[in-house]
Amino acid sequence: MSARAHVDRRLVLQAGAGALAAGALGWPRPAAAEARQGITDTEVLIGALGQLTGPFAFIGAPARDGMQLALEKINAAGDINGRRLPLLFEQASTPAESVAAAKKLTESDKVFVLVIASGSTGAAAAADYVRSAGIPTYNIFGATAIIRDPFARNVFHGSMPDAGVSGEGMIEQAMRAAPGAKKVGILAGTYAFPQSNLKAIQPRLEKRGVEVVVEQFDAAARDYTAQLVSFARQRVPVIMILGSFTEAGFAIKQAPEKGLTDVAWVLDGSGTNDAIVPIIGAENTRNLWGYFNAPFFPTQTDDAMVNFVRIWTAKYGQPPQGRPNLYDMVAYGCTYVLAQAMKKAGRELDWSTLMAAWEKLDNAKPSDLGGYDVIFPESVTASDHQGNKLVGPARVVDGKWRVVW
Amino acid sequence: MIAEFIMIVVGGIKFGAIYALAAIGIVVIHKATRTVNFAHGAFVLMGAYACYGVVEGLGLGYGAAFVLAPLAAGALAAAIELAILRPIRQADSFAVITSTIFIGIGLSELYRLVQNTEMLALPNPVPGPPLFLGDAVVTREQIWVVAGAVLAGLIGLAIFGYARIGRGMRAMAANPRGAALCGYSADAVNALAWFLGGALAGLAGVFAAPSKGVSAELAISMITAGFVAAVIGGFDSLRGALMGGFILGVAETLAAGYVSSATKSAVSFLLLFVILLWRPQGLFPEAKIRDV
Repeated sequence: MSARAHVDRRLVLQAGAGALAAGALGWPRPAAAEARQGITDTEVLIGALGQLTGPFAFIGAPARDGMQLALEKINAAGDINGRRLPLLFEQASTPAESVAAAKKLTESDKVFVLVIASGSTGAAAAADYVRSAGIPTYNIFGATAIIRDPFARNVFHGSMPDAGVSGEGMIEQAMRAAPGAKKVGILAGTYAFPQSNLKAIQPRLEKRGVEVVVEQFDAAARDYTAQLVSFARQRVPVIMILGSFTEAGFAIKQAPEKGLTDVAWVLDGSGTNDAIVPIIGAENTRNLWGYFNAPFFPTQTDDAMVNFVRIWTAKYGQPPQGRPNLYDMVAYGCTYVLAQAMKKAGRELDWSTLMAAWEKLDNAKPSDLGGYDVIFPESVTASDHQGNKLVGPARVVDGKWRVVW
Repeated sequence: MIAEFIMIVVGGIKFGAIYALAAIGIVVIHKATRTVNFAHGAFVLMGAYACYGVVEGLGLGYGAAFVLAPLAAGALAAAIELAILRPIRQADSFAVITSTIFIGIGLSELYRLVQNTEMLALPNPVPGPPLFLGDAVVTREQIWVVAGAVLAGLIGLAIFGYARIGRGMRAMAANPRGAALCGYSADAVNALAWFLGGALAGLAGVFAAPSKGVSAELAISMITAGFVAAVIGGFDSLRGALMGGFILGVAETLAAGYVSSATKSAVSFLLLFVILLWRPQGLFPEAKIRDV
């Protein structure tokens, strides 16, 4: 009994020393077993998390559908180095659910790679966990700086550039809409994505000598009386809306009721959705400007887009209004980019070989593996994990959004 | 300043009109069955969804939506009364009220499962340039919604005040045994009350759909506002529900316009508490006259 107690104490001391050493060296490196988790001779398990219910289900549900569509095509086309790619998608709406889902997928389900498909809120919440777990992680929607900074070798970013890039895109559009404007209104949601954009845009505008009037609203708001009255009092010639297309749509629709009859509106990537047109009326889109995180809108008739909508409809049936949307497209395209990184990593796939291969991707796009190019190409280096740095300037033409270069 | 005030008040009246429509449906069901229907917001959502189906899916236009969406929502409400609430009513009236909470949640989540999109948008039913009252702008949609709510309220008042079915519902609520002895069937009156309440919710859905969009969140926003409006007006008064909706809408919008958007919801609940504490029968209670 005494000897056993002696051994236990020794074990405890050894474990403590090990933990201290690991702490001194930074985050623990993944063990070999972890680095190959989710891989069998025939499969590589991909885990993803996003909102399937609640007000942000328009992000997560398309993410699941877009990823599933791409994986079905990739698997049907002949696997990746002899392995199929099944998907395990976990529902996560709140920050707490996002962390729990990331932890479950990594530690219980043992997925090989994690895709965060829940926008900035989920990406920000899961950021610390995925950095510490070391699992290769693909942030395909989150624009937030929290997932980007500090830099982590295992975290990669897809079609959504950081807020600085999209913010510059919006400012350029605002200056086209109201040349020489000395005052700009910003109507921003209080949740993560609009706030990260606001932090990027406001100082940039102020640096240009523009007075900025900021008004905020809660997620899924439908009444913008307070904000619109404030903008009317301030007589702003152009208003940037940082929020979803429904929020933007109802704000623009209510604007004339508050006396804002001749204002230019600049929308962010979430707002530039064709479903905004019926809300505000096609006849009221003359002063609508925006940018898009993909080379085409879903209704554009370019070959890649038409083919994408065709295969989407073949799998999921006649789409409801607003689908397929940007998130369907980005999830589909980014899944091809991920598959390409896996292919380049070769048959001896583990976390290390995947990350090394990912960091060598240059202009990776879906058509490299037989898909349709509905996202901007992605290039990654060892020191820069932001895959895409482009946004497409957008206008409404004949009642439909178009990327207009 | 005056133009701004007019625009804020007119905006509040528009939202108030939609609240009033929701409140009238809640009051109709409560007047006839003594049940507070917390699924009413979900019935509004179903009406809005039916409106979307008729206008965008079938391409039949708003005229058909005004007929078909209330009928669909009314039929759904009557079916729920028949299949779920009637058996539960045998056990406990409190259980019925509790059930309506979960029926509402269930219908909203069912909608979300069927329509996996952020929101369904409908075109403006009355497009065209706005009207000007001096410097104040009044849109056609504002006039359309307010006129519709007032009309629906008047129809409800007429049915309850003068039609035989309305008298039957009032009799059943006041004295079920006496009403039964007079030849009214409790089951038929309950089913009819739920149908009418559901139809009014459906009508509210048709008016709300272009203004607020069709999404699962519509159910929550409508039950909250409709309930507060009904309490303000007096839970048994159709006229009160109508007025309560307008008071709530204008109070919320004035608070948002002149204080901040954060005070909008606070004003709604402040009104609720003040009315419950100061005048629990509501601002416009139905006069109770009894011949002796």
